[in-house]
Amino acid sequence: MTRPSRIPAPGLGRITAPTALGAAVLLLWDLANTRHWVSDLILPRPLDVAAATRDLFASGLVWGHLRATLYETLAGFGLAAALGVGTALAAGASAVVRRMVYPYAVTLQVLPMLSVAPILISAFGFGATAKIVIAALVAFFPVFVNTLTGMLDPDADAEELFRSLRAGRRRTFTGLLLPTAAPMIFAGLRIGLTLALAGAVVAEIVSAQEGLGFLVQRYSSQLNQDDAFAVVAVVTGMGLLLYGAVGCADRVIVFWRHAGRLPAGSRARERRVRRRLAAADRSTS
Amino acid sequence: MRLRGVGKRFDGGVEAMRDLDLSVAPGEFVSIVGASGCGKSTLLRVIAGLVPGSEGTVEVHGEPVTGPREDVGLMFQRPALLPWKTSLENVLLPIRVRRRITHDDVREAMRLLTLFDLEGFEHGFPSQLSGGMRQRVALARLMMTGAGVRLLDEPFGAVDELTRETLNLHLLRVHERTASATVLVTHTISEAVLMSDRVIVMTSRPGTVAAEVPIPLERPRSPEMAYSQRFQELALTVRRALGPSGSEGGRPS
Ligand SMILES: Nc1ncnc2c1ncn2[C@@H]1O[C@H](COP(=O)(O)OP(=O)(O)OP(=O)(O)O)[C@@H](O)[C@H]1O
Ligand SMILES: [Mg+2]
Repeated sequence: MTRPSRIPAPGLGRITAPTALGAAVLLLWDLANTRHWVSDLILPRPLDVAAATRDLFASGLVWGHLRATLYETLAGFGLAAALGVGTALAAGASAVVRRMVYPYAVTLQVLPMLSVAPILISAFGFGATAKIVIAALVAFFPVFVNTLTGMLDPDADAEELFRSLRAGRRRTFTGLLLPTAAPMIFAGLRIGLTLALAGAVVAEIVSAQEGLGFLVQRYSSQLNQDDAFAVVAVVTGMGLLLYGAVGCADRVIVFWRHAGRLPAGSRARERRVRRRLAAADRSTS
Repeated sequence: MRLRGVGKRFDGGVEAMRDLDLSVAPGEFVSIVGASGCGKSTLLRVIAGLVPGSEGTVEVHGEPVTGPREDVGLMFQRPALLPWKTSLENVLLPIRVRRRITHDDVREAMRLLTLFDLEGFEHGFPSQLSGGMRQRVALARLMMTGAGVRLLDEPFGAVDELTRETLNLHLLRVHERTASATVLVTHTISEAVLMSDRVIVMTSRPGTVAAEVPIPLERPRSPEMAYSQRFQELALTVRRALGPSGSEGGRPS
């Protein structure tokens, strides 16, 4: 018997299902090491990686590098978000701007960023600037394309409604186009942020004196796989946290796409309207 | 509201309307029936100033229509509510676009929502409402425009029979107490007869007026009237004017 896919199957829940898969993979990974399917020099044991991760934090060694990578990622992402959303909003509002910038946005996307990394590093030096620029370059396109797609796809009826109400360009933009694009903007930001992190780390691997990418590079060249894996775990954790942060912002700002958030929104609006009307009643009486 | 010799040819060469005359007085309720694709929606869009006509003149309150006007309100088949706004905020949208919202506007919007049996749902979001409720919010929004000319394009086409009857009653109630000119596009003959002072029958490609059937039933109207002899005769007249079934490109059965 088949069941509708929307109804979750009984047995494995939202927590247990992924945990079960994760545990199975870890077990297989550990077996690969202890049974010597794979050399110790390539694949350390999961528990050793966990211990190495703990030591990285306990010794305080990782913090400086973590801060450097976080800074490059956030700065690069901020730049990409501002430029990507800004350019796409302009391109969405004006067909001329759209025709102007679109080919270059695509070119930028097609360009393999790793190939220009050395050039950018020699141009901007070995410090954070080059990494920020690279992070921004890789994060730009998804933000731009998603925002633009969202801008160009308003509900035809709603658009006609705004026209029939004689809403001006600004009103239509803020009242219709921007909220319509908001879910897509956040989808773009989510991808952009993870790409910014990847860009920063890769740039650090190419050439750096600090940062998590630099650490991975150093440990693995020393054949210190426990620590190299531990740093990768830290990068992954950081990526997940950043991803979650954008998710939270999405739930707050694009609340209407999250059914669970509607009741709270209703109550807040009801209180606001009540308060205003009550204030008006007091001032007239 | 008055149309003289209005025609519309789209860029692709489709002639949606030709030489169409129609006038609707304040307080009058006119329905338009006709086969699918005969140009009813296009006609409403031209009256609303959303698309320019190719020939002829459209006048509202004696002035030629050159674009959307504040005194012409429009409602579509789909409610077109903004999902990030509550019912109340959606109803207030026409005001919001024009000027600052006052407390009286809020009270008026609340009153309209109550009138359409939406008490308790003023602060709900569209996705929390049923299809019929959304249409009622859209109807309240149309009323909120305060427009003297109301154009409704199959407003209740997507809801079930019973809900539709209630919605029609709502519409009748507000129409009978205001002096606006209402044009309703519908596919349902009985609905057209029940609501209207006049039923306009349109023919296909190019769309033009084939017949006008006056409906001299007294007001206020009630759904029970639909079972009277007079009503049935009027409905039959409209049906005959539409021509034999199948001759207008209707769906094969
Ligand atoms: N934007 C457009 N460009 C070209 N042709 C169009 C356009 N809009 C409508 N038409 C054509 O004009 C004709 C009339 O369309 P219209 O939507 O007014 O019909 P209708 O009577 O409202 O039909 P229905 O009852 O199915 O809603 C159709 O043949 C349609 O293909
Ligand atoms: Mg239509």
